[in-house]
Amino acid sequence: MEAPVAAHFASRAQQALAATFGMWVFLATEALLFGPLFFGYLYVRTHFPEAAGAASRHTDLVLGTLNTATLISASLCMALAAQPQRRARSAAWLLWASAALGLAFLAIKGLEYRHEFAAQLFPDRGFAPADAGAPAHAHGMQLFFVLYFAMTALHALHLAVGVAACLVVARALRRGRARAEQVELAGLYWHFVDVLWIFLYPLLYLVERA
Amino acid sequence: MNRQDKSLVLVWVALLLLLAASAGSALLRLGAWNSVLNLAVAAVKAALVLLFFMRLRASHKLLRLAALSAFATLAVLFGLASSDYATRTVYPAPLQTPRQLAPHALPLQ
Amino acid sequence: MTSAPETAERAQAPSYLAEDFTLWSWLGTHDHKRIAVLYMLSITLFFFIGGLAAALIRLELATPQGDLVTAETYNKLFTAHGVIMVWLFLIPSIPAVLGNFLMPMMIGARDLAFPRLNLASWYVYLAGGALTLGALLAGGVDTGWTFYTPFSSMFSNSNVVLALLGILVLGFSSILTGLNFIVTVHTMRAPGMTWFRLPLFVWANYATAIILVLATPVLAMTLVLVGIERVFQVGIFDPALGGDPLLFQHLFWFYSHPAVYIMVLPAMGVVSEIIPCFARRPVFGYRFMAYAILGIAVIGFLVWGHHMFVSGQSVYAGMVFSLLSFLVAIPSAVKVFNWTATLYKGSITFSAPMLYALGFVGLFTIGGLTGLFLAALALDVHLSDTYFVVAHFHYIMVGGSVMAYLGAIHFWWPKMTGRMYPESWGRAAAAIIFFGFNLTFFPQFLLGYQGMPRRYHSYPSEFQVLHLLSSAGAVVLALGYLLPLAYFGWSLLYGRRGGDNPWRATGLEWQTASPPPTDNFAQAPVVTQEPYAYRQ
Repeated sequence: MEAPVAAHFASRAQQALAATFGMWVFLATEALLFGPLFFGYLYVRTHFPEAAGAASRHTDLVLGTLNTATLISASLCMALAAQPQRRARSAAWLLWASAALGLAFLAIKGLEYRHEFAAQLFPDRGFAPADAGAPAHAHGMQLFFVLYFAMTALHALHLAVGVAACLVVARALRRGRARAEQVELAGLYWHFVDVLWIFLYPLLYLVERA
Repeated sequence: MNRQDKSLVLVWVALLLLLAASAGSALLRLGAWNSVLNLAVAAVKAALVLLFFMRLRASHKLLRLAALSAFATLAVLFGLASSDYATRTVYPAPLQTPRQLAPHALPLQ
Repeated sequence: MTSAPETAERAQAPSYLAEDFTLWSWLGTHDHKRIAVLYMLSITLFFFIGGLAAALIRLELATPQGDLVTAETYNKLFTAHGVIMVWLFLIPSIPAVLGNFLMPMMIGARDLAFPRLNLASWYVYLAGGALTLGALLAGGVDTGWTFYTPFSSMFSNSNVVLALLGILVLGFSSILTGLNFIVTVHTMRAPGMTWFRLPLFVWANYATAIILVLATPVLAMTLVLVGIERVFQVGIFDPALGGDPLLFQHLFWFYSHPAVYIMVLPAMGVVSEIIPCFARRPVFGYRFMAYAILGIAVIGFLVWGHHMFVSGQSVYAGMVFSLLSFLVAIPSAVKVFNWTATLYKGSITFSAPMLYALGFVGLFTIGGLTGLFLAALALDVHLSDTYFVVAHFHYIMVGGSVMAYLGAIHFWWPKMTGRMYPESWGRAAAAIIFFGFNLTFFPQFLLGYQGMPRRYHSYPSEFQVLHLLSSAGAVVLALGYLLPLAYFGWSLLYGRRGGDNPWRATGLEWQTASPPPTDNFAQAPVVTQEPYAYRQ
């Protein structure tokens, strides 16, 4: 049994379109929210090209690549869950799989943060990487890490919300109280978080690796 | 597993292959082309997610309009702001303020 | 004119006001009309607090010496005035009060697309307001509403981070409102309500919603970056550490220039509703008016660098921004011409709403023309950071937006409350406000080009005459603003009942009861007429 159409809508179709369109508009706002961070990144890359490379080499390529694969796989689960002919039970399992993969991502990210804090790469007063070099070079590396931590932390926050959304919708599915488009909405949000990471990965992990 | 599921799995495989390609190519010394290649791959991956996982092509044109508007606005921010950075002449200052000499000496509340 | 007995006969369902009288029925409402009233009460409170800061500013500036307050307190006063008036009053004013109340009715819908999100936006607004006001009043913020770095990020010893947090939260409130409006207008129009049958008020709020949704997130992130800079001292905006103060300005003005269109577009929408009604003529050039609204919204995103001509920005980028700023004047001018043309051969009634609308047209024109002066690079070198700029934006924000807001409240008061305000008091207040406004702000143009800098609390004595005139005007303006507060309150208890459509206006909102029932319409309307179907 599905949840009923809300009273102010004329039809279920209108409600579904409004919900999906609303989610896309929200995703547009999220893209603009990250925009200044990407622009700040562009500023650092263009003003401090070598320092950006030096800083990027401090990130963990293996863990970053593994995380990207994790998120892509979670996206697959969400996309499969949102297929129109998917039964509620299977969709719930797929959502739980996504949530688990999302939590795995966060755990790996946490591990990376621990390593980076230990290597004094957090860009506060105690910022002291091994290869800091000249002040301008050190400043450039510090700015890179400001963007690194800001962008990955904000991304992780959004991912955590996505995990929560998966669990909420999975529970609604199991109780038969989910609307058809709710799985799609959670999926759209999730895929957006994935797209963000698809861009963050090369920008943060793959600069001057060779 | 039906046809739609199969195509989603294929997209997933493609994404993983592209990921391997960009990680692998980053280890090759290609100079400026490294970044170009990485971003190109990222753009293709993003397009795959948008078109197949988010079903952007099949959906109502309003949704494509929303996505396009966000992209266009970001393009304006990046483009016009970059026009300042690209054409600005930077003159190094002959004098340094105390703050510049010892930036972390004065703590803020 | 519909008479009172007719209304009593027709009204089967209770009005949205009479539906339920408990406190929770208001604080937990999903009804867009009640949420609009909640917003109206909140922003009125904030308006008078911001006005109090302005009063203190004008009191200080009556004498050349900085004798009323210290320089630092003065900085806190103009910061409070700016922050409150921009984010706590102007940005929500017409969209969150009148947009919320009217938009669903104007398109023939029962409510907005996401009623609970609408209520959430009000609570988020209150939370942001509390944080911001707390920061401004308990210790204050002295950076100016523009939070320029490196002062805000490195040197200010005031409640910057708390204020940033408050404004961030306020930003989310406005994003939610914008999202709701966009989805509503796209998906919930009644049968027959095509895009080009929409009232221009809807077009205006729709375009405003687009700006809200695309620009505000950039502000949110920019404020976070300043917070990060303050807390961790990382150097994003500090040249000594490789950063750039102009990075802040680019990001800040990328939002804040479109923000001024958030503040003026809904006002234009209001004027487009009032003038046809009191000239008894359809609006001239409806399609051009709609396209002009969209044009202003789009071009408005391209001009932000005109706030940075003298900041150190590249002069070539400055030229580009200057040219684009001249372009944005074109759709605005189209609107002014079309409002004027709407009056031609009309049967004009100088009601209070009409006085406000006509006042808008004149004062917005002056504000807009002076904007062109500022858009010219060479002139801006001299006029930047002077009172010329202050006068320019007050002509648009106050002479334009605030007057339109008041005109809107007067025009739709019978719809919202079922009562008429006393017309002669309404006209008197409009005239007092018009006179007081010009006396306050016209001298500031003169002060500006004579060199009086903005944000200074003391000045050379030769400027005193103009400052005194301005401060005198502020007293008149304040009295003018207090009058509606008094007579609107009076009208709630003793005002004449106006009937469903006292102005004989077109538009779906006037085809239902005043005040409307909770579901807006007894049955869903079907639209067959063009908008503004006024006949002589």
